[in-house]
Amino acid sequence: MAKPKIASDWLAGCAGCHMSLLDIDERILQVLELADLRATPITDLKEPDESGVAVGILEGGINNSANEEVAHRMRSRCKVLVALGDCAVFGGIPAMRNFFTIEESLRRAYIETPSTDESGKIPSDPELAVPTKVRALNEVVDVDIFVPGCPPDADTIFYVLSELAQGRKPVLTDDKLQWH
Amino acid sequence: MVSITIDGKQIQVPEGTTVLRAAESADIKIPTLCDHPQLTPYGGCRLCLVEVEGARTLQPSCTLPVMPNMVVHTDTEKVTDARKFVLTLIFSERNHFCMYCQVSGGDCELQNAAYAEGMTHWPLQTNYSPFTVDASNPYFVIDNNRCILCRRCVRACAELVGNFTLGIEDRGANSVLVADLGNPIGESTCISCGTCVQVCPTGAIIDRQSAYNGREQDLTHIKSICTACSIGCGLNVLTRDNRVVRIDGDWDAQVNHGLLCAKGRFEPLVNDKERIATAMVRKGARMKAATTKEALNAAVNLIKAAEKDGAMVGAFITASASAEELHQFIQLFENVKNARYGTIGSIGYLQSMKTLALLAKIERESDLIRVTDSDCVLVIGADLILDHQVAGFMVKRNLPAGTKLILASNDDNQLAPFADAILDTKMGLVGALEDLVVVMAEKKTDLTSNAAKAAAYLKEAQSVGVIIGEIAVGSSTAKVLEAVTSLLDKLSSDGKTVKYITLKGQSNAYAAYLLGLDKPVDFHDLETVFVFQSEEILDQTFIQELETVPNLVVQSCYTNSLTAKAQVVFPSTIWAENQGSYINLEGKVQHSNQIIRPTESIPTLVETMQGLAKSLGSKVDSNWSDGLDRHKIVTVPKL
Ligand code: SF4
Ligand code: SF4
Ligand code: SF4
Ligand code: SF4
Ligand code: FES
Repeated sequence: MAKPKIASDWLAGCAGCHMSLLDIDERILQVLELADLRATPITDLKEPDESGVAVGILEGGINNSANEEVAHRMRSRCKVLVALGDCAVFGGIPAMRNFFTIEESLRRAYIETPSTDESGKIPSDPELAVPTKVRALNEVVDVDIFVPGCPPDADTIFYVLSELAQGRKPVLTDDKLQWH
Repeated sequence: MVSITIDGKQIQVPEGTTVLRAAESADIKIPTLCDHPQLTPYGGCRLCLVEVEGARTLQPSCTLPVMPNMVVHTDTEKVTDARKFVLTLIFSERNHFCMYCQVSGGDCELQNAAYAEGMTHWPLQTNYSPFTVDASNPYFVIDNNRCILCRRCVRACAELVGNFTLGIEDRGANSVLVADLGNPIGESTCISCGTCVQVCPTGAIIDRQSAYNGREQDLTHIKSICTACSIGCGLNVLTRDNRVVRIDGDWDAQVNHGLLCAKGRFEPLVNDKERIATAMVRKGARMKAATTKEALNAAVNLIKAAEKDGAMVGAFITASASAEELHQFIQLFENVKNARYGTIGSIGYLQSMKTLALLAKIERESDLIRVTDSDCVLVIGADLILDHQVAGFMVKRNLPAGTKLILASNDDNQLAPFADAILDTKMGLVGALEDLVVVMAEKKTDLTSNAAKAAAYLKEAQSVGVIIGEIAVGSSTAKVLEAVTSLLDKLSSDGKTVKYITLKGQSNAYAAYLLGLDKPVDFHDLETVFVFQSEEILDQTFIQELETVPNLVVQSCYTNSLTAKAQVVFPSTIWAENQGSYINLEGKVQHSNQIIRPTESIPTLVETMQGLAKSLGSKVDSNWSDGLDRHKIVTVPKL
C-alpha cells in the first residue's frame, strides 16, 4: 500500500508551529517511514498535489484574501484537514488586531510605528492580497482535527502525525490538550 | 435526612442540601464555575447542569435543593453536550486567547473545565468586542475581557467583606464588572482586601505581585498567620525560590474563614522600606558595619557599664513578637540590674481587657464570629475600618440582613456611615454609655435621641455582641470600662445573650499581657535602652521619649530615626523569616511558620537575646507557656 501523503502550509501565524514540528527531531524519520511528506514550507514542493493528499495541515489564521485561497485549495485537495496551533484553531495572536478596525491596524503598522519616517504609507497595489478580519480556520473551511497550542508541543505533533499516518483519528487529552 | 440517587449511588443528605453538595459528599464531581463553597449559590453559569428524572429540562445542581427520592444523572450525553454548549457560549463572549493570559495552564477554572470536556476549539468564534481594563488599584487589575460574569467577586465583596463595592453594569453580553457606580476601582469604596482576587475563577482579576510568577502547582504553599493585628488571620502563603509570591486567606482558618485585609494580604509584599542587612556599631559620628558578634559585645558592654554605674536600663519589645521572644525578653531583662521593661505599645488595649476581666460579671470573652453574629452589635472605641479590619467585615456583612450596629466612639469613626445609632459622646464616652443604661431602664420608647434609638435596638435584640477597642489610656479609662461593665451587666440581666470581645492591639499583645508585660514603662532617667522593634512602626511619642537617651541598642528590620541615633543596631528577620507562637484576641494559640529563609547575617529577636544572655551569663529558654499568669486569662487559650 502506498504511504499516505501529507502536505502543510502556513497562513497568518509566526511559523512557530512548523518549528515545533521540526522539534520532533529524529522522530521525523519515523513519520517519513509511515507517510510521504509532500509540499510544506520546509520542503521544495510548494503546493499540495493536485491529485490530492490524505492529510493537509495548516498553521495560522486567515487574515487576507491570499490566506483564504490557500485554505480553500488545501481543503479541496486533502481528505483530512488539521488546524495546527492556536492561530489556526482560534485566531490566536494575530486576532488581537480584530479589536481594532483594519484601517487602524494598517495605519499603526505602516505609518505610526516609531521606526517609520514621514514617508510611511499604507501599501496599495492590486497585486497585493486584501486584508480581512483575522479568522480561525474553521470560520472559512471545514476542519477535521484541531490541535491547539502556542505552539503545540512537539510530542503532541508527533502523536497527531503518527496517528494520522496510520489512518487513525488523534484524540487530544491530558497533557496533549493545551490551549497555550 | 433526604435520600437521593446520583449516578446510581444512594446518598443521604440533610434537607436543604443542594444536589451539587450532595454529589460532592459522595465524591461525584460536577463541574462548576459560578459556585464557590463560601458564597451563596447563584446559578449563573449553568455549567453544573444535571439531568433529573421527571424534570422537563436540565437543572442547575448548585441551586437545586434535594427532594426525597430524586434520581439525578450527571454524566449522560445530554448533560455533557449541554456543558460543552455552555462553555462554547462563555468563550464566544469575551477574549479567551489563553496564550497571553496569566492564569493559563492550571490556574483558570474556565480553561480547566474546557479541558475536562475535551474541547479542542470553539464551535462559535468570539465576537471581539473590547471591554474595559481597570488598572487603578495598586494591588490588582480588573480585566473585563476575561470575565465570565460569574459574580463570585460581587458576592464575595458583599457577603464576606460587607463592602458592597462591586456590581455589574448593563445587561446580557454587555454586562461589565464595575466598582460603585462605575468609578475606577482605585477611586472607589474598595478597601483592597483582595477577597475578589482570591475568588475569581479566571484571569479577570489579576494580582499584580504574583502575575506571571508561576502557576499555583509550581509554587510552595505554606500555612501561617498574619501578625499585623490581634485577630491573627490564617494565611496560605505561596512562595518560589525563597521569595513570597502571594498571600491568600486560608479558608479553613477558624478565626477569619479566608478573609484578609490589605495589611495581611498585600502590604507585606510592598517593598518600599530600606532593609538593614548587617549589624552596625557606632564609631564616633559614624555607624560601621559589624559582625553579629561585635555588635553583641558592644551591646553587652553597654549593659555592664550601666550596671556598674547604677544607671537605669530600659528595654522594649514589639508586642508583635512571638511568645518565645517575649518570654526570653523577660528572662533576659529580669536579670539586668535596674532594668525597666515592657512592650512598645498596646497598653490601651491591654487595659480594657484587664479591667473588664476583673469587673464584668459575664464570665469570659467570646469568639469574634459569635460576637459579630448577634442581632445587635455595639462597637465601643474602635474603628474597625482602620484596624482589625476583618472584624469590621464580619460586622458590616451582617447589616443588610438586619443586624443593628450601635457605635460609641470619641473620634471620627469610619464605621459611622454604617451605624444605625451613634451614641452622643459630647459628654465623653462615659457619659454616653451611662446615658444609654439610663435610657434602657426607662419605659418610654421615644426614638428621637440616639441613645433612645440604641436602647430600642438593644431591647429588640435577643443577642447582643460588644466589641471594645482601645480605650485611650488616661484618667477616664477606668470610668469608661466601669460604664462598659455596667452596660454588659444590664444587658445580661435583661435576659440577652451577651458576647463580648476586646481587641488586643498588636498580634501578640495578649501573650504579652499574660506574660506580665502589661505595665507601662517609666521613661524617666533611662540611660541605656534596648528596642526590639523588628517590623513594628514606632509612634512619634515613643521616638521622642527615646531621642535623648545616650545609649540606644535597636534591633529593627528597617532603618528609621532610632536606628540613626543608636550605638548598636542589629538587623532583624521579618515575619516570613521567623516563626513562633501567638495568642490571638480570642485566646487561640496559633503558630506563625517560617516561610522563607533569612540571609545568614540577619538574626531573629530570639537569636539576639540568646547571644546577649550568653555573654551576661543569664539563662533563657523557650518554655514560654510556663511563664503565663493563668489568673489573667480572659478567654480560654487553647494551649
Ligand atoms: S481566563 Fe482562562 S480561559 Fe480565559 S484566556 Fe485566561 S486562561 Fe484562557
Ligand atoms: S478588594 Fe475587597 S473591597 Fe475591594 S472590590 Fe475586592 S472584595 Fe471588594
Ligand atoms: S471578575 Fe472574575 S469573579 Fe468577578 S464576575 Fe468576572 S470572572 Fe467572575
Ligand atoms: S485583620 Fe489583622 S490579622 Fe487579619 S489580615 Fe488584617 S491585619 Fe492581619
Ligand atoms: S455552578 Fe451552578 S450555575 Fe454556575
